[in-house]
Amino acid sequence: MSDMESFNSLQLDTIREVGNIGTGNAATALSGLLSRKIQMTVPKTELVSIYDLGEHYGNPMQIVGAVFVRSLGGFQCSLIFIQNEEDARLMVELLLKQQFGTFIPVGEIPQEMTDSALSEAGNIVLSSFLNAINMLLGTQHQISVPGVAHDMLSSILDVVASIYGQMGETALLVNTELSVEGLEEGRKISGHIILIPDPDALELLLRKLKVM
Amino acid sequence: MAENSIVLGMADLMVIRAPARLITLGLGSCIGLVVYDTAAKVAGMAHIMLPNSRGLMGSEKVGKFADTAVPRIIDDMLRLGAVKNRIRAKIAGGAQMFSLPGMSADFLTVGAKNVSETMLRLRSMGIALAAADTGGNKGRTIEFSTSSWMLKVKTLGKGVKEI
Repeated sequence: MSDMESFNSLQLDTIREVGNIGTGNAATALSGLLSRKIQMTVPKTELVSIYDLGEHYGNPMQIVGAVFVRSLGGFQCSLIFIQNEEDARLMVELLLKQQFGTFIPVGEIPQEMTDSALSEAGNIVLSSFLNAINMLLGTQHQISVPGVAHDMLSSILDVVASIYGQMGETALLVNTELSVEGLEEGRKISGHIILIPDPDALELLLRKLKVM
Repeated sequence: MAENSIVLGMADLMVIRAPARLITLGLGSCIGLVVYDTAAKVAGMAHIMLPNSRGLMGSEKVGKFADTAVPRIIDDMLRLGAVKNRIRAKIAGGAQMFSLPGMSADFLTVGAKNVSETMLRLRSMGIALAAADTGGNKGRTIEFSTSSWMLKVKTLGKGVKEI
């Protein structure tokens, strides 16, 4: 199935529910990692024109930190954890504080190290998200090494546009937001998980859950 | 005369008469292609997403693929009075935003394929490439001015250069 617009509402709801299960697991994992409560939004299944992706998640020029992984198991997809650069920085500081017991400003650590912390956190979030889906579908769980980037939102989303652009003009994305609670006054850390299923994976998911 | 600024989105393609400023924001693996004829004072820009339509073009925007965008932009240039052997091209973009160690996947290296396909199409139409700033792992914002015929390329953490 390559025509993303041909899904019915039951199928879109099912895909969203799968996203919901993934998000719950990702929130639990992030909560364990940061020792903080995590709030999550109800995921949305979105059909977005590939030409509008840049604007869809906010200001296309805003600088974001992003972690990308590929699922290589039975349910093939790409996953991105994307945060405002400032949120990513605060998360890394919180993570390092957990590890070392003292606060170290990100500016004082080599970027290699902060990127490694960011990609590890992103990897845990995305891997937990995917693992819940694989458990549900009974598919094998296998995931690539994470890749990390800091750049303009619209440059990052070119990855999504080029994946879906080969098949048509619409991207089907599952989008959800996690927020860390219990931070100091005036601080916030949140991040979006974007699931980019391969078209074959969507068909597999819908068949396994008997809505196709 | 004041230059109008025109911002091109994903897969857009446009040819204009000077004076104007053509802008594309946040190119990742996509290509910003600029063509111009300084004597005829016409210029064009395309925001190319993918190398090849594989003949599968439906209702899609012609600027989306290198193999459809290049012939169209040259046609549009000629229609506005450009002369083919005076047309020059500049390109920017084609980065690889993520690399996953130990893994090669088509969609990760699409930037490099966009660059090579765009260059190939220009060459096969006999259009000279005047300048290029491509590859790497960083996004670019580009701005072409018909007052200087220069392409300004902004890269995060690397400042601005003119090519």
